[in-house]
Amino acid sequence: MSDRIAGIVMLIVSIAFGITASSYEASFGDPLGPAALPVMLSIPAVLLSLCLVLKPDPDPVWVTGTPLFRQIAAVVLLIAYALLLDPLGFLLATFVTVTLLGRILLSGWLKSALSGVLMTLVLFVTFDTLLGLPLRALPAGLG
Amino acid sequence: METIALLGQGFAVALTPTNMALAIFGCFVGTIIGALPGIGPVNGVAILIPLAFSLGLEPVSALIMLSCIYYGCMYGGRISSIMLNIPGDEPAIMTTLDGYPMAQRGKAAEALAISALASFVGATFATVGLTLFAPLLAGAAIYFGPADYFALYVMAFATIGGITGVNPIKTLLAAMIGLMIASVGLDPATGTARFTFGSYHLYDGFNPIVAIVGLFAISEVLFYLETMHMSDGKMVPLGRAVPKLRDIAVGGWAHLRGSVIGFICGILPGAGASLGAFMSYVVEKRVSNKNGTFGHGDPKGIVAPEAGNNAASGGALIPMLTLGVPGSGTTAVMLALLISLNVQPGPLLFSREPEMVWGLIASLYIANVVLLIMNIPMVGLFTRMLAMPQWVLMPFVVMVSFLGIYSISNSSFDVLVMIGFGVLGFILRKLNISLVPVILGLLLGADMENNLRRALSISGGDPSILVASPIAIGLYLVTFAILAAAFYIAFNTRRAERKLGED
Amino acid sequence: MRKLTKLLSLGALALSLSVGSSAAEECIAPADPGGGWDFTCRTVGKLLYDLKLVENPVQITNMPGGVGAVAWANVASKRNDDGSLLVATSTVGITQIAQGRFPAGTDAMRWLAMLGTDVGVIVVPADSEFKTLKDLTDAMSEDPASVTAAGSSGAGGWDHIRLLMVAKAAGLSGDDYKGIRWVQFDGGSPAVTQMLGGQVDLVTTDLGEIAGFVESGDIRILAALSDERIPAFPDAPTAAEQGLDVTGYNWRGFYTGGDVSDEDYQRWVSTLNKLYDSKEWKAAAEGSGLVPVWRGGEEFEAYVLEQAAQMEEISRQIGVIK
Repeated sequence: MSDRIAGIVMLIVSIAFGITASSYEASFGDPLGPAALPVMLSIPAVLLSLCLVLKPDPDPVWVTGTPLFRQIAAVVLLIAYALLLDPLGFLLATFVTVTLLGRILLSGWLKSALSGVLMTLVLFVTFDTLLGLPLRALPAGLG
Repeated sequence: METIALLGQGFAVALTPTNMALAIFGCFVGTIIGALPGIGPVNGVAILIPLAFSLGLEPVSALIMLSCIYYGCMYGGRISSIMLNIPGDEPAIMTTLDGYPMAQRGKAAEALAISALASFVGATFATVGLTLFAPLLAGAAIYFGPADYFALYVMAFATIGGITGVNPIKTLLAAMIGLMIASVGLDPATGTARFTFGSYHLYDGFNPIVAIVGLFAISEVLFYLETMHMSDGKMVPLGRAVPKLRDIAVGGWAHLRGSVIGFICGILPGAGASLGAFMSYVVEKRVSNKNGTFGHGDPKGIVAPEAGNNAASGGALIPMLTLGVPGSGTTAVMLALLISLNVQPGPLLFSREPEMVWGLIASLYIANVVLLIMNIPMVGLFTRMLAMPQWVLMPFVVMVSFLGIYSISNSSFDVLVMIGFGVLGFILRKLNISLVPVILGLLLGADMENNLRRALSISGGDPSILVASPIAIGLYLVTFAILAAAFYIAFNTRRAERKLGED
Repeated sequence: MRKLTKLLSLGALALSLSVGSSAAEECIAPADPGGGWDFTCRTVGKLLYDLKLVENPVQITNMPGGVGAVAWANVASKRNDDGSLLVATSTVGITQIAQGRFPAGTDAMRWLAMLGTDVGVIVVPADSEFKTLKDLTDAMSEDPASVTAAGSSGAGGWDHIRLLMVAKAAGLSGDDYKGIRWVQFDGGSPAVTQMLGGQVDLVTTDLGEIAGFVESGDIRILAALSDERIPAFPDAPTAAEQGLDVTGYNWRGFYTGGDVSDEDYQRWVSTLNKLYDSKEWKAAAEGSGLVPVWRGGEEFEAYVLEQAAQMEEISRQIGVIK
């Protein structure tokens, strides 16, 4: 079933890809133009997707419940970190993220917070001071 | 003779204090990355690429450091195979078959030493092969025109479909996904914006390094979150620290057989170290398994796959350096590194940047010696690393990936793209769709298209130019031969696999 | 070796961690590390501090995307009045603006100065049948499709436009432009190598990257697209000497936000002028194949506007923009 769904998704993507590509044109340039290769790509992609829909492998085991929740939590946490790194400043954002990641990975609050503090400092020194990556250390307005 | 002179110059580059220090650092870090289950060579190298940027290293130094990490990973992968029965990386799977049983019998130290020696033999064999064959191939490749490059890329894509992966449909589909991702951005020939949906961020397309870190490192964390409630392997005691030489040198001809088979597998585009280890083990078993000791801790069952996977990883550097077509996932990552350092691999690399190429090759010889020393007397240090708790390791991997990517462009856009690729990588891996063809498609897609269009620009649109040169015709013939051989091997391998399962 | 010491001092630094913030000067390189704009920022930034022209080390920020458009949009929306900011650019950036690929036209920013330039050249293999620029333009006039040219930019990019400017000066029409076969390669060296392999007839690109091929005698400079002969190759004639008054520089320079005060603007222009006058800059520029050339302040603004207008006209004639 998983393969069939993936095949259908790929089928839709490939068709959309081919149709979008066919609209590209350059009034000036090489004989082949920007549309030809993407359109040529979409054809085998459509055929292969169809093969996947018609002849799927046995399903992998998809987890549910707590592990799935942990995965979603980790992805949400990372997206939040990406968006909050600048407004919150490096130190606070990283501390919170590492601590919560530690929690998601089943360690205790205290251990997680401790690793959060240590890792924040080590990473800040490594990336900001040694490697010269300009990081805003404190929340906007304070630093 | 000229090769020796060039290699001498290479040693002059490799032996400068900075490059030596980076080589040793790379070997050390690489062994740790290889040993830790969960971070393999691909993500290890990918995570550390931004580090090479931030350090502002010269291209040759960056390449030396990352190649030593790469070699180190190949050595390190065996440690957790033997100690925990969990392969540290994919090519080390075959080493668990005899390594762990041997360790269980209280001979862990011997197993580690035997495998270290086998790794040394395999890697050195491949490095010698690289020294001899790469300049030959590069010399021939100078005569490549756009049509010939196009034929070469066709060969790369046709052969990965035949060689890697369980389900060829999925492998080919993976390559298509990579090629489609590669077509995002400004078309270099005409400047047309393709699939950018009006976002300036997408004008340059997806940065392969961002995609690679996402696909491998982030998806690995998601995988770990899924399986972490299952129990970890039990570590066996190490036993005597440094075994006697007589106990180590038991591999005999298995060293050479593994090296040759691995090396050949490594050179084939898309095949890589896993196939090298697997083929070496299967062949060695056929040759040496007279008393049925394979699978119960036979030293030759450790020697063959270790020599094989290390020889394969060296061999994989040959097509990467000379043709710009990587032979494995990790060399694909290194290709991405070279391109982002503004170094164009391919035939020109040897004539234009001899210092870099020969410095790299020389440093690989040094790396092998350093790694042998690190992995026999100092192996206890690395086994202790295996006790690092995952709740420290995983956040560290995430954070280093995150900041590394952030440091490339100072934008949260790239980081979000990385997370997106992480989720994609996770789904693809769950569906048993190999990620290596995705990366190859992403890396080579643009070049393949550009060379096709260049060829047709030159001919004014006449497609016969594609088969007009002897090189192109030769490449299409080789493609055909490799495909035929691949089907033959796949058929035999599946039979051997079935037999292996029955035993 | 310095990097190594830096690494080793990691532990010591961890103890003396300080959270400093400063209003130091910043240079945005609108590309990945390693390219031409990145080089401009890093070299100029380092020299500004080394020569004590600024108080603090110049912060280098890479902001790749859209051939400079991402950085441009970022400056326009967030830092349009930030007087401490430099953004590296070059003729390539102007081409993008002239062809409408940036969110706004050249007048949206304040143009500070150019410090050096790469010189465009038309090169052919040493044994080519084209001996002078006239041989080439005659062949192109007779049958544009008989010539296959290559360079490091795509059709409509700066390398291509420079060749068409020569064609225009020689009297070819807009329709002829489309007939000349143009092949894009990923840089000057690959283009020249392919030319030596007999794949294309000529290459138009910056001299810096391909100077080695000229020195070795593999290729000849048919025409230098500069006002005067190139110091390193005094035997190579300019296009103007051969009757076609065309120059094709790829200059390296800086802009800053459109709302930056006149005071800050003048301060930057004079700081950069001092840098330009130093022998350190001359050495750094020549070391990377650039010819030091100065245009600053209003003179530079006028130059940029004129160049953009010229490119827009040619782009329109060949149909890159409608």
